[in-house]
Amino acid sequence: MTRSRPRVTRTAASIGLLCLAVAGCLPAPVTREGRDVASLYTVFLVAAAVVAAIVLGLTTFAVLRYRRRRDDTELPEQIEGNLRLELIWTGLPILTVIGLFLITFGVLNRVDAVSAGAATADGTGPVDVRVTAFRWGWRFEYPTAGVRVEGIGDPGPEVVVPLNQPIRVTLTSVDVVHAFFVPQFLFKRDAIPGRDNHFEFQVDTPGTYRGQCAEFCGVYHSRMYFSVRAVAQPEYAAWLASQRSASPAVVAPAPSSPGALPASNPASGNPQSSGAPASGAPASGAPSSAPAS
Amino acid sequence: MSAPSAVLRVHPATGDTLLAWITTTDHKKIGILYGTTAFGFFMAAGLLALVMRAELAVPGIQLLGEQGYNSLFTIHGTAMMLLFATPMVSAFANYLVPLQVGAADMVFPRLNALSYWLFLFGGLIIFSGFLVASGAADIGWTGYPPNSTLPYSTTTGTDLWIVGLMLTGVASIFGAVNFLSTAITRRAPGMSMLRVPPFTWTIIVTSVLILYAFPAITAALAMLLIERRFGGAFFDPARGGDPILWQHLFWFFGHPEVYIIALPFFGVISEVIPVFSRKPLFGYRAVILSTIFIGAYSMSVWAHHMFTTGAVNNAFFSITSFIIAVPTGVKFFNWIATMMRGRLTFPTTMLWAVGFLFTFLLGGITGVIVASPPLDYQFQDTYFVVAHIHNVLVGGAIYGMWAGITFWFPKFTGRLLPERLAKTHFWLWTIGFVVTFLPQYQLGAWGMPRRYVDYPANPGWSELNLISSIGAVLIALSVLAFLGAVVVALRRPADAANDPWGGNTLEWWTTSPPPHHNYRSLPPIRSERPVFDARVAAARAAEPTPGVTGER
Repeated sequence: MTRSRPRVTRTAASIGLLCLAVAGCLPAPVTREGRDVASLYTVFLVAAAVVAAIVLGLTTFAVLRYRRRRDDTELPEQIEGNLRLELIWTGLPILTVIGLFLITFGVLNRVDAVSAGAATADGTGPVDVRVTAFRWGWRFEYPTAGVRVEGIGDPGPEVVVPLNQPIRVTLTSVDVVHAFFVPQFLFKRDAIPGRDNHFEFQVDTPGTYRGQCAEFCGVYHSRMYFSVRAVAQPEYAAWLASQRSASPAVVAPAPSSPGALPASNPASGNPQSSGAPASGAPASGAPSSAPAS
Repeated sequence: MSAPSAVLRVHPATGDTLLAWITTTDHKKIGILYGTTAFGFFMAAGLLALVMRAELAVPGIQLLGEQGYNSLFTIHGTAMMLLFATPMVSAFANYLVPLQVGAADMVFPRLNALSYWLFLFGGLIIFSGFLVASGAADIGWTGYPPNSTLPYSTTTGTDLWIVGLMLTGVASIFGAVNFLSTAITRRAPGMSMLRVPPFTWTIIVTSVLILYAFPAITAALAMLLIERRFGGAFFDPARGGDPILWQHLFWFFGHPEVYIIALPFFGVISEVIPVFSRKPLFGYRAVILSTIFIGAYSMSVWAHHMFTTGAVNNAFFSITSFIIAVPTGVKFFNWIATMMRGRLTFPTTMLWAVGFLFTFLLGGITGVIVASPPLDYQFQDTYFVVAHIHNVLVGGAIYGMWAGITFWFPKFTGRLLPERLAKTHFWLWTIGFVVTFLPQYQLGAWGMPRRYVDYPANPGWSELNLISSIGAVLIALSVLAFLGAVVVALRRPADAANDPWGGNTLEWWTTSPPPHHNYRSLPPIRSERPVFDARVAAARAAEPTPGVTGER
């Protein structure tokens, strides 16, 4: 009996470690918002490990300690309950989840915040990007700069954003529900037809980050990629200029009147007219960054 | 046994037996029909999962192509939730609720039979989508429009899915009406509401949930059918509809649905742990109260499935979702306290119950993680959520189901399951469960979305997917071990005792299996454990000196 106690402690400790290991590590965050989410996750994992260690430790203890011995036919004491104990193990979880909610609430407000203030073309203020999802590709428009990038399939279009500057996204869809998801931003948001969703992120690590559709949207759902390249401000300005010269046809930016569907709806009514081939997979590896004309 | 009844018992021909099963209104036969049919759908949906895991074992598209894969996960999810787990609850409720309250049958036996046949044909209609040239429904079990509306999902399989689900939904509503009225009005003399066994209590709460939740999904399905075939525009923004409407209706049903499945199997755990600890359920009233609280509260958490839509108040649905973890936590402590200072034995049923405590805890914890919207922004629609729902439903509800099947198998059939094969089933299943679903948490945290027929060969992704697929094979093998155990048991003579485990509740008072109208006599009911009380009283009467020491 007493022999089993150290074993119980060891089991509980290893179960705690196991839980930390099994719940999974996040990708290294590359945005200001992502870092906030990653530290929130760490708090949750520690709380989870403590809860798991207590509950599974107690379970393991009960199982090892109170097995019936072979010749023991006695009926154990018939304990019906204990109000004080039950109040304690109701109260403690309430306090725990309220604590977790309060921490969540702070992070939620920061992650969901969208800054006010007008966008500027010279790149000092927030950068506005209008993102439109369609079966099975993405369109990115920079209304202030008059640049538009669009593409389908895998690898899909690549957009460039300046580092350490708020990128203010207006997200919508022209056909079914999609979701904008960049795993390294630790963020996703649904693209819903007839509705504009707003969010903001600020990349603080240079690099190219793949994004993908995360809400099931039909046959080629798993081939709906894009990437976001975060670069320093001068390089970003140069990219904008090159996009503009590459697509002189884009003079007026697409008006982002809320709720209105773009006129050049690539999938209106007929899902097969969306630019993806009617049969077979979308051409992967084909040039996908296609400035609209 | 009196002579006239023996004369009446003529050996029936096969056709008569078949006719007897088809026309039966006996709650026990309907329970068996429900259980075996649901188990058939479980194996069919499990096969679909095996094909999915085969496809995902390595990167690339090998087996079915996109369209076929989309049908697989749609029917897998639909069948597991609505043709297996929910009807399996009905199976247990049908068989056990009249027995546990000491009744002869359901209040509405014919409605009960209708409910079974609606379920069977609804399920067959859903699966008949595989016979349609363009394939079964390809919209996910959540069926979000506009993707499920006509320009986007063109297969007739989707219409069959809608109609089949409406039929099974109506079947669930009929069943709930029956369970509720039977549990409330057919209780034996002496069985006050606070002496109703914990399993039947969970069925009462689950039935109320069904009556609130299923009309919402039935209405939503009707809207979808009208939009697809009769020119409606409920979900099309271009014609004044809103796709979010479906999500609200679906999850207003969908979240309570999780508890509709889970609560009865929590009830099974609350029955099993006291029996094999030889103690009363610790805090019976607290467990019943927490069940009622979970039921009521589960109606207020639905939009935590919609945190990433930007269309709901995330903070509100976050706090309600956090709080619903509390009553479940209370149950956990009550179960553990029941085991404390008990005299625990570990037949297979108890292994399932203890296994439940381990695996379901992890599901509960990851549930708290995804109740936090900023964390859900990362995990929503990834394998993290896939792992979480399977952790809750497989690691929670289905462990409870196996505990229930092994526990009541002698009551259902008059035969004990062979322990060795049954334990093989438990260990294979448990190892398979861990190997299949734990890697999916990491895949989801890295960002692998669900419902992808293919994934990039990122570092670690191929390995974890392969491990997960191997685990699925172990789960399939474990089910074969279970089937083997059933076959072995059924070939034995039906000689199980009335009460092989030392049970607490009324069903252990009658024969195994019980006679047509269940009881010839009932013990006095003075607590939630009438059969335990009767056993103690008998032991005391048999011995002049108190034989049951330790009892105070």
